Amino acid sequence: MLFGRTKKNPIKLPDKGVVEWKYAACGYCSTGCSIEVGFNAEGQAVSARGVADADVNRGKLCLKGIFEHELFSTAGRGTEPLARDHYRDQWKPIDWDSALDRLHDEIRRIQAKHGRDSFAIISTGQMLTEEFYTLGKLTRGLIGTNNYDGNTTLCMSSAVSGYKRSFGSDGPPGCYEDFEHTDCLIAWGSNLPEQHPIIYWRLKEAQEKRGFPLIVVDPRVTMLAQNANIHLPIRPGTDVALQNALMHVIFAENLQDDEYIAANTTGIDELRAEVEKWDPRTASKVCGIDEDTIRVVARTFAQAPAAMQIWTMGINQSTHGSDGVVGINNLALITGNIGKPGGTSLSITGQCNAMGTREWSSCSGLPNYRYLEIPEHREEIAKAWNIDVEFLPKKRGMYQTDIYQAMEAGRIKGLWLIATNPMSSLPNTARIRRAMEQLEFCCVQDCYVDTESNQYAHLYLPAGTWAEKDGVMTNTERRVNRVKPVATPPGQAKPDLWIFNRVAERFNKEGRVKFPEKASEIFLEMAALSEGRLCDISGMDHDFIEQNRGIQWPYTRQQRERGEPPPKGGKRIYTEPASFSYPGGRAKLIPLPFVDNNEQPDEEYPFWLNTGRLIEHWHGRTKTGKIGNNNKFSPIPFIEINPDAAADLGIRRGEYVRLVSRRGDAIAMAQPTHRVPYNMVFLPFHFHDCANRLTLGLLDPHSRQPAYKQSAVRIERIEDQLHAARLSKEMRKF
Amino acid sequence: MFPRRENEPEYALLNDPVSRKVNRYGTPIETVPEDDPRRKQPFVINGEELPQQNPNRYKQHGFYFNADNCIACHACEAACSEKNDVPPHLAFRSVGFVEGGSYPDYRRINISMACNHCDNPVCLKGCPTRAYTKFAEYGAVLQDPDICFGCGYCTWVCPYNAPQLDPVKGQVTKCNMCVDRLEVGLKPACVAACLGKALDFGVIENVPEGRVQCETEIPGFPRTDITHPNVRFQQMKSIQREMVRVDQTPVKYHRAEDEKRYEPELDPKKGFRRQWNWKKLLGSHENAHIAFTLSVQAVMGAFALVVLGGWLGVAPVAALQGSEAWLPLLGLLLALMVFGLFKLNMHLGKPHRFYRGFYNLRLSPVSREIAGVSLFFAGLAGFALFNLFDGAWAQLARNLFAGVALAGMAFGGYYMYRLYRIPARPFWDHWHTGAAFLGTGLTLGSLLVGLTALAYGALAPALARMLAGVASLGLVLEAAGLVAHALAMRPARSEGAASWYEQVTTFGWPYLLRNGLLLSALLLSGWLAFHGAPSWLFVPLGVVALASAIIGRALFYVLVIPTTMPGAFFWRNKGFVEHAREVGLADMPQLGVAYERHHPFRFDELWETIRTTSTKEKWDQLRRIFTG
Repeated sequence: MLFGRTKKNPIKLPDKGVVEWKYAACGYCSTGCSIEVGFNAEGQAVSARGVADADVNRGKLCLKGIFEHELFSTAGRGTEPLARDHYRDQWKPIDWDSALDRLHDEIRRIQAKHGRDSFAIISTGQMLTEEFYTLGKLTRGLIGTNNYDGNTTLCMSSAVSGYKRSFGSDGPPGCYEDFEHTDCLIAWGSNLPEQHPIIYWRLKEAQEKRGFPLIVVDPRVTMLAQNANIHLPIRPGTDVALQNALMHVIFAENLQDDEYIAANTTGIDELRAEVEKWDPRTASKVCGIDEDTIRVVARTFAQAPAAMQIWTMGINQSTHGSDGVVGINNLALITGNIGKPGGTSLSITGQCNAMGTREWSSCSGLPNYRYLEIPEHREEIAKAWNIDVEFLPKKRGMYQTDIYQAMEAGRIKGLWLIATNPMSSLPNTARIRRAMEQLEFCCVQDCYVDTESNQYAHLYLPAGTWAEKDGVMTNTERRVNRVKPVATPPGQAKPDLWIFNRVAERFNKEGRVKFPEKASEIFLEMAALSEGRLCDISGMDHDFIEQNRGIQWPYTRQQRERGEPPPKGGKRIYTEPASFSYPGGRAKLIPLPFVDNNEQPDEEYPFWLNTGRLIEHWHGRTKTGKIGNNNKFSPIPFIEINPDAAADLGIRRGEYVRLVSRRGDAIAMAQPTHRVPYNMVFLPFHFHDCANRLTLGLLDPHSRQPAYKQSAVRIERIEDQLHAARLSKEMRKF
Repeated sequence: MFPRRENEPEYALLNDPVSRKVNRYGTPIETVPEDDPRRKQPFVINGEELPQQNPNRYKQHGFYFNADNCIACHACEAACSEKNDVPPHLAFRSVGFVEGGSYPDYRRINISMACNHCDNPVCLKGCPTRAYTKFAEYGAVLQDPDICFGCGYCTWVCPYNAPQLDPVKGQVTKCNMCVDRLEVGLKPACVAACLGKALDFGVIENVPEGRVQCETEIPGFPRTDITHPNVRFQQMKSIQREMVRVDQTPVKYHRAEDEKRYEPELDPKKGFRRQWNWKKLLGSHENAHIAFTLSVQAVMGAFALVVLGGWLGVAPVAALQGSEAWLPLLGLLLALMVFGLFKLNMHLGKPHRFYRGFYNLRLSPVSREIAGVSLFFAGLAGFALFNLFDGAWAQLARNLFAGVALAGMAFGGYYMYRLYRIPARPFWDHWHTGAAFLGTGLTLGSLLVGLTALAYGALAPALARMLAGVASLGLVLEAAGLVAHALAMRPARSEGAASWYEQVTTFGWPYLLRNGLLLSALLLSGWLAFHGAPSWLFVPLGVVALASAIIGRALFYVLVIPTTMPGAFFWRNKGFVEHAREVGLADMPQLGVAYERHHPFRFDELWETIRTTSTKEKWDQLRRIFTG
């Protein structure tokens, strides 16, 4: 006590009175952080902290995780099932039994009337793996529609497709520990500090220790780009041209790893023939990166003892998304950078359990990376589930994006939407509205009743969220982690697993197919199905996973029985020679001819529209838009616009502007910044009735993922700013 | 005690095996000497007395910020708000941006800033209620909301926007250095949460592992000479000559001639269009200050005029004292004082805690102002009372009270001016503030007397000439101050230039109108000073001078731009806060913008305090006004 004070005031610090901490893996992104939720004596969730001995996050959390305990009490939660005849009618509460009967009856009615596949089911990357598995069993085994997909088509489909094409299977080969061993890192269209802050922290820790070069490919000067050793401000959608040129230099300068290529790959001659056409000068005219820089990057990458590539939506959300992933894999393969410490091609995944749905949901095939197209896989699963093998389709059905186009064309008549919100998340909102309007029946199952897609629903089923449920999730580095039901869903809301099991009862009257009630039992069923496969989880169970703060797959029954503990981290796949998933164990080198089919800025629509994510928000903001200490950092939509362009258009900082594309218009507040070039605006996609009113979303031919990041818009100054403010405000309820 | 886990990660642990003896300003880092009795005083957090576990407990600690590494992930802010249960519209720690360059040669610097627990805590010195304490433990500057009465003066004087005035609760709260974590060897929550390897903490002047610089300046960080803040920086990566703020504040930072420091200067973000903005000008939370300062200055001016005039035997004043206007005039002065004090008190976040305004008489100009003005009010009231009586004893009492009032006026009036000479508010920190206050006293004071006399037919030409002369003097003084002020602010290398810019743009028309009114008033009063007639001219003169004074004082409050940290585009952007309130976005609680509001006078709480405070404690409180 200084400054002559004679009385020492007692110190009063806020104390939340936590009496118990409960474990759960985070439910936002795919980093897979372990969280402890703190409960006070009254049993309210009042606090959250990172689990100190979890290898992924080592006690850290990002701002979303720090406030994740507030999720349980956010506004807009659904507390009772609701029903109505027409989407324009008022909702009426309905009991669970009637609601589930109605869902069953409508599915069967529509299938009877319009055919088995006229009813579509679209799920998510947000649920728990046991829920995905159960929904897959229900859909593939009992309901029998082939138009079943997840919203992972909007984020990870290109990565899945690229991994399958290159390696013969989905499954990211690397891990976070690779940062600690790498000698060169290329980040393709990935803004880790904003999208995956904890992975960024791991990267930064490693980089401060070892100082490896960081090369960032991004048209925008993100925080990662500005801190990179080399920033390549690439022209949107032209990554494949750059990749071809990098390979051209590597081959021209004989920097490839011939031994690795010979032992592990097929298709080198075709690849060489294609990249021969892509000398740096030719490529520079396409991708906008000068030829000298291309050479420097190629040499830096190829000469590094271990080089690593990561990517996110900058690659995936493009008409060349799948090709971009294959290009990254090609680069890794020709330099021998797969399956070794610090040498990998690691897709930084989006949603918390995007990996879980890829592994277990049966959306794109059958459980554990099995294919519908392979008869043995169908037979294995039919036997395991006790269903007729002929009931399974022989080819996967439509992707989510194609389902919506079919819905628009009147071929899909009924829809069950689970924990996803296409009204905000699919490109070209106007078309999505028209598609939804035409449905004979739509059931929305979501933890939020105010999810915008509910506007077109006839039945609403209130679900639990995140740690109101029991199960596991898989993260970017293939780590299976536990989510425990630390809270109970509000009102009559139920965990998704409960809902699926109740729906299953209605399709499974004679009880032929077994649907275990408890997540831990389901996990054991899955573990058994995984034995001997790439994604082998047979050595794990719920308690063991929690004890280890998550376990990376593969971890086999044999390892467990031998008493071999799972490693804390650092587990890779494809570490042995010729161990890829294609028959024969060789990965494919695939030539990538490049045709630029993006919508390009022109005289009428002179700006690139680049969309992306903000650190403080999660997807459609149904969660973070209601948590003040997240939402306040960007509560309304804005664009980053180059100050010179703003000046030419007469737009001042903080003014609302109108963005117009060939699809529609949107209002956003202008933030002039030199983060973006003169002919580009960046618009966060989180806000309902905003970015996706503008996006074209051309589909990738392989992954059917929309090109969210390459559209053309014009920008109009708005004279009546108060009116614009009113419109902007009306367009979002939170 | 903060529940420390067994397996706290290394990055969260305090690590200061050695430290320096004195800091760069020559202040010992040991807050109190080895054998000082203050080391023996109990350290109590939340009712729990803690034994000393941290060997560095009695050393000044501070934050270390590596500006090269901050990625603006907001984890520090979130961790702080989570631990301290801070509502969305407040933050003990905030991240703001400055940026520079052209695409793609562009760089943004993110600045994460909380309280700097300064060597010279101007908040502690300014706070009238003694809510602040600088503890010998860690040198932490802590504030107690239970003592605070919500005047917000600490938020005026702090250059870093550290104290947070909560418009909802009507009290200030701020960073508490997580002293509970320090006690168990942990770094503060914000530091432990940092994801960019940017934020660190330890004994001041210690440089964290892997860092080389230990600077006190980065672009956008306010000047350090005011408070000697306990924060150190690293900023090694090349940045542009000019770094701009992304919030609406028309300030940018330009590399100084020494090629090292960055100085704030004007960034005319909205062009030079002149606007009215009446609503913003007259609808601000500072209205109470306009009412208080104008009425108290007018009353003081009038009182000084009539009392000193009487004592000096000035004939027109003596005549006035004998006239019918005399008692109504005194009544009017009293009424105006009551009005001013009422407005001032009711703008507090906790008006029922008004009595705490004297508590920091030893350090705070606000306490001294309040004490002086209260003394003046008491003197005025006594003077007025004894004007109701005749006789020698009444005469004596009148003079006695008048003397008390004049003493209170000198003391209170001086500190009313002093309290605005805030280095962190360059627009106020100029002699024109004094000229304006004194000028207002002379002008409105004499017009108050003149108009009252006129109403009672007691405005003799001699009195009119004298009063108009004094009013003219006041107007000339104010005008001279304004000219000098504008000339000084326009080219200033400080936020003063931004205030000047707002003066000629956002409030460009009211500014011109006020200058016109001031000039008109001067012409009228000049005419009257020479001619003394027609006396009715006092009416338009009064109206014009009052309008000029109100607009001028409103401009004084609305234009000030503190030397705070740069904001972000939404968060900590005053422009967005105003917009959100204007268009109703602020209705959404999760937006992080709360409306300004008035707070009731809670008699129940006042009574509860009186009832539950022991006589001894009351006596001690009184004693500590003088002993500290």
